[in-house]
Amino acid sequence: NVDPESLLPKLPSPEELRPFPTTCATIFHGHEGRVRSLAIDPTGTYLASGGDDGTIRVWELLTGYQLWSIRLSKEEAVNVVRWRPGRDAVILSAATGEDIYLIIPFALPSLSPEVEEASRAILDAGWGYATSTTSTNALAVKKEPPARWERTEPRLEDKGALIRISVRSTVKVISWHRRGEYFSTVSPAGQSHSVAIHTLSKHLTQLPFRRLRGLAQSSAFHPSKPIFFVATQRAIRSYDLSKQELVKILQPGARWISSFDVHPLGDNIIVGSYDKRLLWHDLDLSNKPYKTLRYHQKAIRAVKYHPSLPLFADASDDGTLQVFHGKVVGDMMENATIVPLKVLRGHTVVKELGVLDLEWHPREAWCVSAGADGCCRLWC
Amino acid sequence: SEILDSSLADIKFMWLEGGLQLEFGAEEIVELIEALFAESLRRYALSSLVNSLLDTPRPVPFEFLINGQFLRTSIDDFLTANGISAEAQLDVEYVRALVPPVHVTSFEQDAWVSSVDVLSRSSEAVAWARGGESPMAGQERILAGGYDGLFRVWSMSSDVLATSASAGEGGHTAAIKSVKWLAPSKLVTGSLDRTIRLWNYSESGGETSPTLTPTLELYGHKSGIDSVAVDTPSSRILSASGDNSIGLWSTQKYDAPEAPKNLLPSASAIANKRRKLNKTSSRTVPQRGPLSLLSAHTAPVSSAIFNPNDPTVAYSASWDHTLRTWDLPTSTLVDTRTTSHPLLSLAAMPGVNLLATGTSARHITLIDPRASATTVAAMTLRGHNNAVVDLAVDPRSPCGLVSASHDGTSRIWDIRSVRTRGVGEGGVQGQIGESVYVIEREARAGKEGKRIVAGDGVKVFGVCWDRDVGIVSVGEDKKVQINRGEGLGAGLIEGGR
Ligand SMILES: [Mg+2]
Repeated sequence: NVDPESLLPKLPSPEELRPFPTTCATIFHGHEGRVRSLAIDPTGTYLASGGDDGTIRVWELLTGYQLWSIRLSKEEAVNVVRWRPGRDAVILSAATGEDIYLIIPFALPSLSPEVEEASRAILDAGWGYATSTTSTNALAVKKEPPARWERTEPRLEDKGALIRISVRSTVKVISWHRRGEYFSTVSPAGQSHSVAIHTLSKHLTQLPFRRLRGLAQSSAFHPSKPIFFVATQRAIRSYDLSKQELVKILQPGARWISSFDVHPLGDNIIVGSYDKRLLWHDLDLSNKPYKTLRYHQKAIRAVKYHPSLPLFADASDDGTLQVFHGKVVGDMMENATIVPLKVLRGHTVVKELGVLDLEWHPREAWCVSAGADGCCRLWC
Repeated sequence: SEILDSSLADIKFMWLEGGLQLEFGAEEIVELIEALFAESLRRYALSSLVNSLLDTPRPVPFEFLINGQFLRTSIDDFLTANGISAEAQLDVEYVRALVPPVHVTSFEQDAWVSSVDVLSRSSEAVAWARGGESPMAGQERILAGGYDGLFRVWSMSSDVLATSASAGEGGHTAAIKSVKWLAPSKLVTGSLDRTIRLWNYSESGGETSPTLTPTLELYGHKSGIDSVAVDTPSSRILSASGDNSIGLWSTQKYDAPEAPKNLLPSASAIANKRRKLNKTSSRTVPQRGPLSLLSAHTAPVSSAIFNPNDPTVAYSASWDHTLRTWDLPTSTLVDTRTTSHPLLSLAAMPGVNLLATGTSARHITLIDPRASATTVAAMTLRGHNNAVVDLAVDPRSPCGLVSASHDGTSRIWDIRSVRTRGVGEGGVQGQIGESVYVIEREARAGKEGKRIVAGDGVKVFGVCWDRDVGIVSVGEDKKVQINRGEGLGAGLIEGGR
């Protein structure tokens, strides 16, 4: 007689899966109102955050000291902040209302004169590109371009916000291609303009989809292949950018997707939903999720893989983050190992809203979270 | 008892403090041992006995170490708890007990205080000056650097004697992260503005208040400077930077290389614009470059220090988890020790051949940097609840250490106060030490027990342990806080010399 339990593969205990974040190490005070988005810079030493007060702030990651801030808008919230990948330059992107800003935060210690010059060169390269190309094509002039790239007024320019890209509908998501040349934005209410891909060196904005089935929620570039992912409320579609064709449609089974992330190796995707589900998709398996996890009592706002360690986490309106071990094996025959590790508590739920965004440190098993309570937290 | 039957030669008595070793007569040893192994004898009784044996002019509290562990219970309980049999050899040491450090005074600055250094007649900067000016008792000076880019010189009576120039008047343009006295009239600061600056400090003006004059600006780092270390006899400064490198600099204008043009503020469009807006000071300060920049670390360097016994050797601790040894004359990397966590602070304990490094993972690791050492971590000191970001050694004991942590406390450690790793305490090698005393922020006094999450509002950023002044710690509460163990037997030790 064999105990059926003994045939199940043994999951490792959390103790064996260190390191993973367990305690709050820093609380970042300063925002008035909700913090909606945050991001750690590529060197892993600064935290950028944006929120309802219309400001972006950059902080020393370990101490919580505010190094720099800018008020982008008096009326509108900063919905998203994301660093441009790469160490060659220090460029922060952010969106408030229908405006996307590209910013060199002037007060950062890492912004030596050389890096400042390199960062400016990257932002300045595209000036004049649009006019020089449209002048060769008289017909195109009639058509209003999907976005306007322009210089900012002195108040913003003096702080380092050098470029404003105005689109037609409120931008909620920015995601960069790993090489730092392209980034996509999502404006859920924008209909045919809801997903845009921007080319930095040409100051060019393109709309890859004439029509999407459902409201766009989020988008992401594949970490290594020319594949682009777009999430609508119910499905995630992947497109081959070079062949201009649909590759796959994932059906997570969630009623309303809030966020998704692509594994650094590119073959797995995690999806979070407003209906409290966390779903793991293995792209080599079916278009249905490989695992469905229901740990939260409220909506899941953000999901994120660690860029180098076998960790992932989600952030929820119940005020907590849940940290998981998620080991992906290169072998196609073996499925991912998923172990819940830790619930991170500390954010206060304010008016039904809890943790609105999360991000991992580029190297360490640390994550940061943005709270509706007006604070960011670093978890180590 | 049975223990008394074992050879007296097996029991060693040592006086470890102040370099003084006392020998006892045989009768005294017998008397001591009889007392030692009397039932239920505790530290206090032993301490009185040793005082009478030593014929101390006034009672000095002593602590006892048996086989390297502090005696906290009765001898009997101790032997039982540690499974020591009657036949075993016992190493008994007695050391002057640390008295709980009490709050002496606190000064408040305008911004978070990042770093601190003390000038007293026992400080290195005065010893280096060799018979030059030496502050009398009560005339000590405290140097404190802040996140507002300013540093202040404080007197012991809470007066600000001098404040550095603001950014618009030629001072640092970003937070100061590190301050050190080079000599009683010379100091150095390192800042997030990527520069290291040297200043002259003079109180010789008589009636006029003390003056601070910038004398040298050092350029070469491409990111902020987290810490500086000084060796005045060799005119050298070490810097640890967020650009992953370590800088070696000369304090002398004449033997310092030219400053790299591409890193000067004039190379930056923004800084130029900013300078036009600000009223630039008419005084021009000489600018110089590094003697060398040492690269190998793959993440920000948090601390770089000189080997106290040989300033041609440097040690560095980095966020990349490594502790590295450098040969400065040849600018070569000699050794790399890899740990499991980002390293945020570093101090040398030359008396015991160890380096202490504070981690983001809430502990302090003691590392033997000598090539012969086989294990990475000789010992782990546990107790902090957040990152350990600064360390200073006890000026009176080779085994003492104070740490500054983002948990809002400074902790005092004696590396002889250890226990062996218990069951289930995975991950660390060797022995585990626990702190002897915890210094809270004074603003929090009386609120004991209620731990502040993440040290929010009370993070400690810097600490200095001076023989005359005591333990000076600075932090997020904008305070410079002085604690001292009153009644320490300093007079006795000095009298014994
Ligand atoms: Mg430090």
